[in-house]
Amino acid sequence: MELERLEIPDTPDTLIRVQQLEKENRILKKKLERSEKTCLELEQTNQRKEALLRKIIQELEDSQKEVEEKRQLEITLGELKQTQSQLINAEKMSSLGQLVAGVAHEINNPVNFIHGNISHIQNYSQSLLELIHLYQQYYPNPALTIQEKAEEIDLEFLQSDLLKVLGSMKLGTDRIRQIVLSLRNFSRMDESDFKPVDIHEGLDSTLLILQHRLKSKSSEIQVVRHYGNLPKIECYPGQLNQVFMNILSNALDAIEEQNNTLPAQGKNHNLGAITISTSVISLDNTDWAEIAIADNGLGIPEAIREKIFNPFFTTKPIGKGTGMGMAISYQIITKKHNGNLICTSTPGIGTQFVVRIPVHQSACRL
Amino acid sequence: MLKAVVGHSNDPDSLPAITEVLEQCEQALAGTEPQAGVLFAAIDFDHALILQEIHQKYPEIQLIGGTTDGEISSVLGFEQDSLTLILFSADKITFRTGIGVGISQDLPKAIATALEQATLGHQESIELCLTVPDSLTTSGVLVLESLNKALEQTFGKKVAVFGGMTADQWEFQQNYQFCGTKVYSDAIPILLISGEILFAHGIASGWYPIGKKGVVTKADLNVVYEIDHKPALDFYHYYLDGLAPSQEYPLAVFDTEDVDYYIRASSGTYDVQTGSITFFGDVPEGAIVQITETTQDRILAASKASMEQALAKYPGKEPVAALYFSCASRKQILGSRTKEEYTLTQTCLTNSLPSCGFYTNGEISPLPQQTNSCYHNETFITLLLGES
Ligand SMILES: Nc1ncnc2c1ncn2[C@@H]1O[C@H](COP(=O)(O)OP(=O)(O)OP(=O)(O)O)[C@@H](O)[C@H]1O
Ligand SMILES: [Mg+2]
Repeated sequence: MELERLEIPDTPDTLIRVQQLEKENRILKKKLERSEKTCLELEQTNQRKEALLRKIIQELEDSQKEVEEKRQLEITLGELKQTQSQLINAEKMSSLGQLVAGVAHEINNPVNFIHGNISHIQNYSQSLLELIHLYQQYYPNPALTIQEKAEEIDLEFLQSDLLKVLGSMKLGTDRIRQIVLSLRNFSRMDESDFKPVDIHEGLDSTLLILQHRLKSKSSEIQVVRHYGNLPKIECYPGQLNQVFMNILSNALDAIEEQNNTLPAQGKNHNLGAITISTSVISLDNTDWAEIAIADNGLGIPEAIREKIFNPFFTTKPIGKGTGMGMAISYQIITKKHNGNLICTSTPGIGTQFVVRIPVHQSACRL
Repeated sequence: MLKAVVGHSNDPDSLPAITEVLEQCEQALAGTEPQAGVLFAAIDFDHALILQEIHQKYPEIQLIGGTTDGEISSVLGFEQDSLTLILFSADKITFRTGIGVGISQDLPKAIATALEQATLGHQESIELCLTVPDSLTTSGVLVLESLNKALEQTFGKKVAVFGGMTADQWEFQQNYQFCGTKVYSDAIPILLISGEILFAHGIASGWYPIGKKGVVTKADLNVVYEIDHKPALDFYHYYLDGLAPSQEYPLAVFDTEDVDYYIRASSGTYDVQTGSITFFGDVPEGAIVQITETTQDRILAASKASMEQALAKYPGKEPVAALYFSCASRKQILGSRTKEEYTLTQTCLTNSLPSCGFYTNGEISPLPQQTNSCYHNETFITLLLGES
């Protein structure tokens, strides 16, 4: 098609159209000028927005990291507290152990000396008594002075009682020797490796040490033993005894406290009792020794039950409890013996602690 | 009866633009004589020529106006580089203008002069004051404080002030104010209205605080030197990755440990040497500040809310006209969606409403429940006008 040069007629209509076109042209030009500036401004606005958001995101991440670090710190703090309790445990154990071992040793010698000589005295006395018999047989009428002396000293009674007294002295020294043995047994904390031992022996020694609390003037606490058929258990005997000691003294405390809160007339009716049951159970192809120690003391309120294993948690008056007993026991059972220590309790009825440790520690060391 | 008409031209040439605007107005006026007008013009026009043209047509008109960062009207909606004029005619309402110059030198005197002029000729008590002061030569907060005080002294009561600070398309170099036939800068033009005028307004922003809070430790009026004992610029640089502070990222200012905050935008002026930032309004020492941020949707929701507030409060049957004062930062963030601000306000109306407004460097109105006007940033203000 051929382009023709258009003659624009000079009518008012076309004039308006040309004016409009001119105006549109001006507007377009202006818009073009502006668009670059607008573009630049929007870009800057955007850049700022981007920077701001990046910073905010970073701050969020930082605060998240802070939270994580705080959590780490809390974990570390928890571990520190445990280490501290272990240290205290070790300290407590070793000084107690040393004391007990020292006392036991010091008493052991003279007691053995007395004990050994009692047999001699028994023999000598026996001989002397036999000699007196012979005298009485061959000289039925002794001199008056001898008769008077025999009456004065009640020879008849003396003869029958002397051996009885010696017999009970022997019983007494036997008992002292037994206690000393228990003390030494109890303080076997120096042992650095697992040893297969009779747990019942440990329980009995511990009970013996606590004897004075079981039989006090005001009340008597009954101990019921349901000992099962236990093999020798691989453990640190000294430490395990420490656990029994802690659990049993808490049980005694709880029973005493329960009695104190009861009205006077009820005192006779509420007989304190501690029941110790032992057995072997099989779990996950492993044999476990289970020692359950139950009391009918005041029980532990639900709210504090999970706190009793915390170091320094105690409900006892200042000077009585340190709050370390259960924390240490928990460490000994779970960490040292790969076992577990579970507490169940009904307030007002009583509490039961169940200690569970593997019969063979080798089974746990994979 | 109050009548309002609006003209709006996007012709960048001054003469054809004002000619078109006046034609539109003339047609809508249908023979009635206008008493007053408000003119919003882009910075590039020949403003003196435009004012002359208006006065040639309406020699008696009481006219104020100023330069903008964008114009709004019921004729073209949102435009840039355009010219818009609203004219009022009424027989029971009186309009009088006044101009005060040198506000950066002697603000009270400038305001006193303007008030003196604008008070002449009123028979009834003053109900309303419109103003479009210079935004770059002094602090907007100071202007409002002085104006409020002067109004109360002159008329023995509080007078509601509405308007916006003039602008120059985000250049922050030079902006102009109009009064009568003259073009000013560093000036405050006012229009006092008395008689049977009714009005209601709405105000909303859409900006929300984000990031860390800081305490203003050194400030002088609208210049903040230190935040948390460090250069104020650092506070911004930290969040804006070294970019300069700007109006779209204003500060939320908490007077005390309050939840309520007001917004202060940076004027674009800052000093790299001292690390200070100049704001459009005062920021008191001891105030707690936080950078704020927004999204396009939040801004637009606020524009609509502003209109809804105003309509809900309007005391008469139906408003006759609307004026809008929207912050230039809103436009900066809205970009091509800026036109939606006006369109959204219209969705609240059943009938068409002659209206006119501009994008400003600082909005002026009372807070929703008060009569004392203050200086704002980042807001959209709707002012509805009518007659009782
Ligand atoms: N058998 C129990 N019956 C009731 N409460 C118990 C029993 N065993 C433990 N508790 C509660 O757990 C707390 C912690 O016990 P733990 O043995 O660790 O500390 P303690 O007995 O208070 O002090 P100590 O360190 O002297 O043993 C006790 O204070 C007590 O409140
Ligand atoms: Mg205890």
